[in-house]
Amino acid sequence: MAAVTYLEAIRQGIWEEMERDSRVFVLGEDVGIYGGAFKVTEGFVHKFGVERVVDTPISEMAIASAAYGASLTGLRPVGEFQFMDFISSAHSQIVQILAKSNWRWGAPAPLVLRGPSGGGVSGGPFHSQNPEMFYVHTPGLKVIAPATARDAKGLMKAAIRDNNPVLFFEHKFLYRRVKEELPKEDYTVEIGKARVHREGHSISVITYGAMVYVAQEAAEILAKEGVELEIIDLRTLLPLDRDAIRQTVEKTNRAIVLHEDTKTGGIAGEIAAIINEEAFDFLDAPIVRITAMDAPVPFSPPLEKAFLPQVKDVVREARTLMQY
Amino acid sequence: MPTKKIEDTRQASPEPKTQFVNGTKSSAAAVAAQPDRKGSLPPAGKNPAGIPDWRLERLPFRIENDWVDGEYHYKVIGDTNAPAPPMRPSKYLSKEQSIEILRYMIVNRQMEAALESMYKQSLVIGGLYLSLGQEASSVASAYALGKDDWLGPMIRNQGSMVVKGFRPRDTMMQYMGKGASPTKGRDSGSHYGDVKSLNVIAPISHLGDSISILAGVALGARLQGKNIAGIGYIGDGGQSTGPTYEGFNFAAVQRLGVILFVEHNSWAYSTPSELQFACKDLADRAIGYGVPGVIIDGTDANQVYDATHEAVARAHRGEGASIIEAKLMRMKGHAMHDSALYVPAGVKEYWKRRDPIARMEEYMKETGWMTENQIAGMHAEVQRFIDEERAIAIAAPMPPPEEAGTDVYFDNSVEIPVKYGEVRVKQANKNRQLAESSAPGHYK
Repeated sequence: MAAVTYLEAIRQGIWEEMERDSRVFVLGEDVGIYGGAFKVTEGFVHKFGVERVVDTPISEMAIASAAYGASLTGLRPVGEFQFMDFISSAHSQIVQILAKSNWRWGAPAPLVLRGPSGGGVSGGPFHSQNPEMFYVHTPGLKVIAPATARDAKGLMKAAIRDNNPVLFFEHKFLYRRVKEELPKEDYTVEIGKARVHREGHSISVITYGAMVYVAQEAAEILAKEGVELEIIDLRTLLPLDRDAIRQTVEKTNRAIVLHEDTKTGGIAGEIAAIINEEAFDFLDAPIVRITAMDAPVPFSPPLEKAFLPQVKDVVREARTLMQY
Repeated sequence: MPTKKIEDTRQASPEPKTQFVNGTKSSAAAVAAQPDRKGSLPPAGKNPAGIPDWRLERLPFRIENDWVDGEYHYKVIGDTNAPAPPMRPSKYLSKEQSIEILRYMIVNRQMEAALESMYKQSLVIGGLYLSLGQEASSVASAYALGKDDWLGPMIRNQGSMVVKGFRPRDTMMQYMGKGASPTKGRDSGSHYGDVKSLNVIAPISHLGDSISILAGVALGARLQGKNIAGIGYIGDGGQSTGPTYEGFNFAAVQRLGVILFVEHNSWAYSTPSELQFACKDLADRAIGYGVPGVIIDGTDANQVYDATHEAVARAHRGEGASIIEAKLMRMKGHAMHDSALYVPAGVKEYWKRRDPIARMEEYMKETGWMTENQIAGMHAEVQRFIDEERAIAIAAPMPPPEEAGTDVYFDNSVEIPVKYGEVRVKQANKNRQLAESSAPGHYK
C-alpha cells in the first residue's frame, strides 16, 4: 500500500468509523459540500448524506453543545472546529457541560471535537495556537495530539469509539508533510499510551506534535557526537502516560521536555512534576524545558521562527546536559 | 468487547407519566363545557411588531431609576392598581387535565414552602431558589410535552421537573446534598436531570446553554427518524447571553423543535428587565430568528398550556422552533438571602392579584369543575404528600466521601444505546469510495 499523509489518515479514520457505525456523524463549518477548510471531510456528504455531515452556522459553542445534545440520544458526533484557536469560543460549554457530564448527572458524552492546531505556517495569533492545556487541566476530558499518520488514524478511531468527550488536536504543519504506510486492517491506537519514536540512552526528549520532528532532526545531529537522544512521543496529553515518562528517565537519567506550546502552564511543568514524583532518584541533571516563548504567536516569518523552539535549541541544551 | 446495558446504580427514577400527551385526548364535550366567554373576552391580538399576543391586559407600568435624598432607587411609572382579568379558557384541556395541572401547581408551591421551612431550620445547604408566582409557567408548559419530548429546566423550574416525573424528594435531597439525590450530592437545587427515561437536561449555573443542548438532542432524534419537542426555559435576564442566541439560532435554522420559553419574570436578581434589552417585547425576536412567536400571560395556566401545546405540535410536525414569551413576576427574591427590597411598592401587590394558583382555582369553580371543598381537599392531600416526601428526604444519608472524585470518566466497556432508533438518511451514495483529498486548503 502506498504511504498516505497525516491528513489522509485522519480522513480514513473518520470515514471508516462512519461506515462501521451509523451513529457516528460529523458537524462543523463548511464540512459538507466544501469538504472542510482543510478538506478533511471532502466527499463525506455525498457518501453519508446531509443528515450525517451537518453544515452549522458560525458558532463553536453551538457545535460543541449540539454535539453534546446529540450524544445524549446515543449518537457519536465528531464536531470540527475549523481552527482549534476557535475552541475558546466553546470553552465554557466544553469545561462546564461536556467535561462534568458523567460525574455530575450520569450522562456520558461520547463525542469528539477535532481540528487543526499549531504554528509554523505564518498563521498569526489566531490560526496557530496550541490551546491544549486549558483542556488537559479539565478533568472529564481526554486530550489527544498525534504526530504520525499511523497514530492520527488509530487514535481518531479510538477517540470515536471512546465513551467520553475527546478533544483531538491535529497539527496543521504535519497535515501534508508527514507520510506513512498504514496497516490494511482495522486498527486503533490506545489512548493514554505514549510511543518511543526513537530509542536512545543519553537523554530523554519527551515531546508531542510537530516537535517530534524537531527532536528527530536534533537527534541526527547529536548522534554524530555520540549523544543518542531517546524521543518519547506522548500522543495523548490527558491522560498522560506516567509509566512511559518514568521508564525513559530511569533509562537515560536526563530529561528534556520539548513542546510548541508556550512555557508557563505548558505541559512541560506537569511532566517535570511527574518526573519528580516517579523518577527523582534516577535524575543526574535538572529537567530542561524547551518551549515557545510566553507571548502570542506572531505572524511575520522571522518573528514566528524566533517564537518557536528550533533544532538548534535542542542541540544546545542536549550538549549542556551532557556536561552533568 | 463485552457490552451490557447501562445500569442505573442510583435510586431508581420513576417511570415517566404518560397522561400528559399534548391534551389531544381531551374530549370535545369536556372542552365545550368550558364557559363560553367568546362574547365577553376580547380575542387575542397582536403587538406593534405583529407578534400574536393572547393577554387580556398590557402591563400598565414600568420601572425607572429615581434619585431621592442622595440615593438611587427604582420607582414605578404608571398604575399598579389594575384588577386581575379573568383567565382565558383552554382550547385543548379537559376537566381531568385541568385538575391535574392545578394539583401540580399546588405541589410546586407546597414543595417550595417546605423547602423554605427547611432552609430556616438550616437543613438546606447553600442558596435556595424559589419560583413563587411562576407555578403556571413551569407546570402548564411541561404538561404539554409527550414522553419522548425533552425538558431543559433552569434553577427555578422545579415545578416542571415534577410534571416530567421527578418527585419533590429529589429537589429536596439536592438542596440538602444527600447521597441519594439525582446527582449523588455533587450538585445542588434543580441542577439535575435524566437521560434514560425522563428526558430532562441537567442545567448548569451559566445561562442559556440548555438551549443549544436541546437543539443537539432534537438533531440526534431527527437522525433517528423522530421529530421531538424540547422546552428550553430562559429568563428575561438569561436571554441576554450569547449561548441563548447562538443555540436558538442553530435550532431555528436547522428547524429543530426547540421551544424557547421565555419566563419574563421582570427581575434578573436585582436588575429590572428595563435594563436587559431594548426591544418592546422579547417575543419580537422571533422575527429576527425567523420562527413563530407568541406573547402570553404567564400567570394564566390555560394560556401557558395552549401556547406550549401548539409549539409542541409544530415541533412534532417537523416545522421547527418557536418562541413563547410569558409575562409574569418573580414574587420572591433571587434566592432566600435576597428580600428583593429593590422592587418598588405596588409592583408585588399588582402581581399578587394575579397569583396563578388563585386564578386557576377561581377558574375551576367558575366552570363548575371543582368545588371549594374539593380544592381544599386537594390542598390537604398535597400537604400530606409533601410531608411524606420531606420526611424521606431528611432521613436520607449524606454521600460517602470516597465518592467525591469517582465517575469522572464513563466506562468504555459499557454500550451506550441509541434512544429512538436506527439512524436514517434520505440520500446517500453507499457505494462511494474514499478518494484522496484535493488541493490543499488554507495552508500547505
